[in-house]
Amino acid sequence: MDLNRPALPLQNRAARNRKALAATAIATALLLSACGGGAAPQGAEQAAAADPASGANASGAVNICGVKDASGIYKGTAEAFTKANGKVTAKYTEIGATTDEARTQIVQRLEGKSTECDLFVTDVIWTSEFASQGWLLDQTKLVEANKDRLIPSTVETTKYQDKYWGSPFFTNAGLIYYQKDKVAKPESWQQLYAEAAKAPGNGYVYQGKQYEGLTVNFLEMLYSAGGEVLNEQGDVTVDSKETRDVLNFMSDGLKNGSADRAVLTYNEDPARLAYESGDFGYQRNWPHVYRLLNATPLASSFGVAPLPAWEGGKASGVLGGWNLAISAHSTNQAGAVAFIDFATTPDWQKHVAMDYSQAPVNEAAYSDPAVLQKMPFATELLASVKGAKPRPISPVYPQISQAIYKNVYAVLSGTASTEEAVQKMAEEITTAKASF
Amino acid sequence: MAIKTLLPGRSPSSATARPVSGRDRAERKLAFRMTAPSLVIMALVAAVPIGYAIWLSLNQYSVRTAGLSRFVGLENYINALASHEWWAAFGQTFLFAGISVSLELILGTAMALLLNLAFKGRAVLRTVVLLPYAIITVVSAITWQTMFQPNMGLVTNVLSTLGLPGGDVVWLGEHGYAMAVIVMADVWKTTPFAALIILAGLQVISAETYEAAELDGASKWQTFVNITLPLLRPAIVLAAIFRTMDALRVFDLPFVLTRGANGTESMSMLAYTQLRENRLVGEGSALSILTFLTVMVVSVIYVRFAGGNIRDVAKEEQ
Repeated sequence: MDLNRPALPLQNRAARNRKALAATAIATALLLSACGGGAAPQGAEQAAAADPASGANASGAVNICGVKDASGIYKGTAEAFTKANGKVTAKYTEIGATTDEARTQIVQRLEGKSTECDLFVTDVIWTSEFASQGWLLDQTKLVEANKDRLIPSTVETTKYQDKYWGSPFFTNAGLIYYQKDKVAKPESWQQLYAEAAKAPGNGYVYQGKQYEGLTVNFLEMLYSAGGEVLNEQGDVTVDSKETRDVLNFMSDGLKNGSADRAVLTYNEDPARLAYESGDFGYQRNWPHVYRLLNATPLASSFGVAPLPAWEGGKASGVLGGWNLAISAHSTNQAGAVAFIDFATTPDWQKHVAMDYSQAPVNEAAYSDPAVLQKMPFATELLASVKGAKPRPISPVYPQISQAIYKNVYAVLSGTASTEEAVQKMAEEITTAKASF
Repeated sequence: MAIKTLLPGRSPSSATARPVSGRDRAERKLAFRMTAPSLVIMALVAAVPIGYAIWLSLNQYSVRTAGLSRFVGLENYINALASHEWWAAFGQTFLFAGISVSLELILGTAMALLLNLAFKGRAVLRTVVLLPYAIITVVSAITWQTMFQPNMGLVTNVLSTLGLPGGDVVWLGEHGYAMAVIVMADVWKTTPFAALIILAGLQVISAETYEAAELDGASKWQTFVNITLPLLRPAIVLAAIFRTMDALRVFDLPFVLTRGANGTESMSMLAYTQLRENRLVGEGSALSILTFLTVMVVSVIYVRFAGGNIRDVAKEEQ
């Protein structure tokens, strides 16, 4: 069959009109088998949709798959849901020790149309890639129904081509940890860098190794400076004054001692360990570091602040976090919907913060007294989360991110000039976007 | 010869009655039948995946639309060979392989000579030196990363305490230094392997040769250069082939230590990024095949030129 032909518009329209979820699923299955072996292009536009009402009558078992459950949040949520629901039993299956490994495992299952997993816990940056492949159930209606209890910036991370392909489960945003006895609370990046350069023990540590974390660190500054990588229409707009300013600012910071050159080898853990040595003034890291710092001699002297603004601008950041995506091959989509409904309730979102130290996707949770007691920096965290924006939304995000972190690294390590790096970055992102 | 008499339905008389060519054919048939199972297994585990990878490398697979692909012939290869990234990785991989394999052979020979001496506790030492080789590469990479951590790593600390150069260097963050750490980690881990192969070579050199040399009044150094080294050559070449093939496929050390930054991206890392991270199956497969061909060509060159001894030995045995 001709693979370039848009897939069967007539049958598809008929399928869309059908309300019952089961019927849609069967129609999709038929459509696929009609194309012989399932080699048909089943892109984002032809995907089946999740019915928000189906959760109420759900029963049976739901299997949730994702990365190793380090904080216990996935298994804990599955257990609590099973207990609360009574009809549906949920279980969590770990399919990878690291984020990268989990992605590989999920992609393999989705490519192979495996029915093993009903729900996947997906990193926010995977959404467009998975959705464009037709691997996920369209959750637009479900998200619309739950929208008033979810923080808007977290919902945006599940969006691809004007539809929602997941529901936010918990979120994540960068924070600045600082030594109250040595340095001032960061108000702007400029002030932070200036303060950090004042004395040898005031330095700033962040994630500057050549990897995804560097993309995040760079974008946090770029967004707060008012820059962007892609505009609303998806055009490449990274070749800008803001990009040059931020790159110069970061590389100057390495030269004048604001940041130690060692950050070029740091990802999250080495940055934290360096800061714990007491030789630094500022650290950019994720919220989980709070608990770890509290167990060190620095416990009484460190403070937490949201990411600062670019001088004269508005503070911004980059959203991390995890979404719940329903597999297009799930055999219990109603059960999956019921699980999502439970996981995103304001009540359970409080537990997300209190029991597992993760950032809730429900705004009210941040001002809950019980949450504030366990997570005293909840107000700062909420400010970071609300100001944060998603990373560039594109099915070729991994390539875009490589173009960013490789070229930023080249400037920081001194092997490329800002001008060369900006041009190369824009070129590589344009090439990536043109991927077949 | 013995096999022939075991052939079914074939008495010695009928064998002599037949023309020689028929006997040859039957013998070939038998040989084929006996090797067939191994051939089938080889085909399944080696030829089929390689063939499939070659097929993948001749196509492009859409990262935007599931299941969409198009045949592009050699385009993926042409693009790879025209790219700066491939040649950079190519050069860096050879630089790594050249330095680390040379060091491993020199140190491996020294280690083998030491282990070949008769001394108390030799058996224990032989086991102990193998330890680095038994450690998973990723684990040893993480250990090395920690040792070279700026400010708090063991090596950087010792260097700066002793006032030696390198104490204030961000080893994994600088060109040259980063490669040096990767080479050190590889040499530390695989020298025992080279030593083991060379030790096996040492032990087949007969004691009489050495006795003869001693009678002729040869010095230790003369004995080493004129007897040990030439006789050891097949073993060294063998170790060199194994180590070079491995070194040219290096992946885990740069992946953990630098993620390919500072001039340490290897050919395999490039292929991995395209295949796994970017899901560019065609482009990634082409890079894998190019890596495979590079390693194969190098191995053939080794056997051709450096491995003269191996072939001579093989001929003598025939």
